[in-house]
Amino acid sequence: MASFFGWLRSNSEHYLLVAAHQKLARTLGSPPPRPPKGLKELFWLRVFAPVYALLPWPVRSRIMRAMPGSHRQTWAPPPRSRGPAV
Amino acid sequence: MIGGGAAGLGAAGGVKAADPGAEVIVYTEFEDVAYSPCGIPYVHGGEIPDFERLFLAGKQAYVDAGIDVRYETAVTAIDPAAHTVTVAGEGAVRYDSLVIATGWNYADPGVPGGDLSGLYYVKNIRKAMEWDKVISETKAAVVVEAGPLGLEMVTALAHRGVETHLIDPNPYALSMMADPDIMAPVEESWRELGVHLHFNTTLEEFLGDADGKVRAVRTSGGEITADLVVISTHKTPETALAKAAGLDLGSTGAIIVDERMKTSAPDVWAAGDVVEIPHGLTRTPLQGLTGSHAYAQGKTAGTNAGGGDRAYRAVYVPWGTPAGKWVIGGASFGEATATALGIPYVKGEAQGISRARYYPGVQPVKVKLLAEPGTLRLIGAQMIGGGEGIKERADFLAQAIRFGMTLHDLSTMENVYSPAIGALNEPIVVAATNGVAAAKAK
Ligand SMILES: Cc1cc2nc3c(=O)[nH]c(=O)nc-3n(C[C@H](O)[C@H](O)[C@H](O)COP(=O)(O)OP(=O)(O)OC[C@H]3O[C@@H](n4cnc5c(N)ncnc54)[C@H](O)[C@@H]3O)c2cc1C
Repeated sequence: MASFFGWLRSNSEHYLLVAAHQKLARTLGSPPPRPPKGLKELFWLRVFAPVYALLPWPVRSRIMRAMPGSHRQTWAPPPRSRGPAV
Repeated sequence: MIGGGAAGLGAAGGVKAADPGAEVIVYTEFEDVAYSPCGIPYVHGGEIPDFERLFLAGKQAYVDAGIDVRYETAVTAIDPAAHTVTVAGEGAVRYDSLVIATGWNYADPGVPGGDLSGLYYVKNIRKAMEWDKVISETKAAVVVEAGPLGLEMVTALAHRGVETHLIDPNPYALSMMADPDIMAPVEESWRELGVHLHFNTTLEEFLGDADGKVRAVRTSGGEITADLVVISTHKTPETALAKAAGLDLGSTGAIIVDERMKTSAPDVWAAGDVVEIPHGLTRTPLQGLTGSHAYAQGKTAGTNAGGGDRAYRAVYVPWGTPAGKWVIGGASFGEATATALGIPYVKGEAQGISRARYYPGVQPVKVKLLAEPGTLRLIGAQMIGGGEGIKERADFLAQAIRFGMTLHDLSTMENVYSPAIGALNEPIVVAATNGVAAAKAK
């Protein structure tokens, strides 16, 4: 099971970054990535990345948190700002 | 401890601090511990004159500290049920507590020709000493992938006068963590040093000569002749032992731990690049952080393994490195990573200076801050500058993110002004002020 999530994570991480590079190339005028080649790249860039982009962040975040990993163990909550020191 | 890197040694110290009477054994496959691998590229580049300076403590220091380091000794198996490890030359060794700190390896480039000589995976200091002599005789080198270590090696080889080629499948350097506008001046400075940059270029094969030595690499953009190839693919966790022992691994492939660095097996802790740690904002687990993270995690694992109580925190990942003639750095998300995850942001940018503009040695500092729309809570930062203050700003901004500071907070922050060390207008303040204005204009 871990290897399925590993496969999902490494592919989604890679192709979402490529999609982000495409977007930044349009907005910042930076060099674009090379166009996708083959069915695998077309699927991840033309199907997966746009569908992922349509989901609102809370939904995406919930899906990511549902994957197995260290984040599902006990971790101290982020620090909260306290009152004045003096 | 299995592992004598930053995490394993941090853990050994942690155990001793928690329980000075504990019997501590560190197994390492290497010939040495307590040297800084981080300095290797700078010896190759000529900035540090010799490798001896990278040794931080002699072997006797560990004997004196009561830590038994077993050099060049591989652990071949872990049996969590029997509380034993199998050690080459020693057989089954019983433990009360075990810390796995087996670290990382470069990802397999996965192309033919991987068994040729002349392929350099920068890691072990003894090997680095041998490779340094090879670099002296090298005319042309290819660096495969522009990760953090690739960046350092490109600069080092260029400084050594080697004809250096960088190939990377992405459109710009360090693209998995940095932004293209931060990297553009770095790439320009490499070109000035004579480096040949081949982006959007995929490695296809290492080509060898009749003696089995690399002579060129075949890429999607053609063949590049080289007598040395530096492989700096991304870090993968060294989890073979943990996996065989049935420990739970996460989606990054690294060992799952909790805040006490405890694994899924009884009395087994893990630390360093072999584990994954959640990001403080998204909680998404990350693997392959830095040596300073590894050391701090090791201290936590060791303290707990020794009967103490210590917690590690989710990370905000301050980072920084020299690259070409610049120093770059940041914390948490850049535009590329935030965009990839689909995290909305507003941006505040400023081009500032490191000290008073009239003071000799003044250097540019560009700061880019990302904040959550609405609250303007800081979620990330990236910087490039001539050197001074980039590291300190990255450290500070990681804390600012961790403690939920906003662009409003940063735009009104106090800063040191003293001509030789700080400018009147702190670039972070200007960037935050611009960010507040940009958010209002939206
Ligand atoms: C060239 C280079 C430059 C770097 N630059 C920086 C930098 O600038 N900043 C920074 O913070 N970090 C830097 N690092 C550190 C690095 O990137 C890692 O984060 C750090 O090495 C992680 O430490 P670790 O202890 O988890 O693993 P490692 O350092 O990989 O140590 C693993 C240890 O485990 C041992 N081991 C593995 N398997 C076995 C086994 N089966 N039996 C016995 N022993 C075993 C190895 O011998 C080794 O001692 C650099 C590293 C290198 C190599």
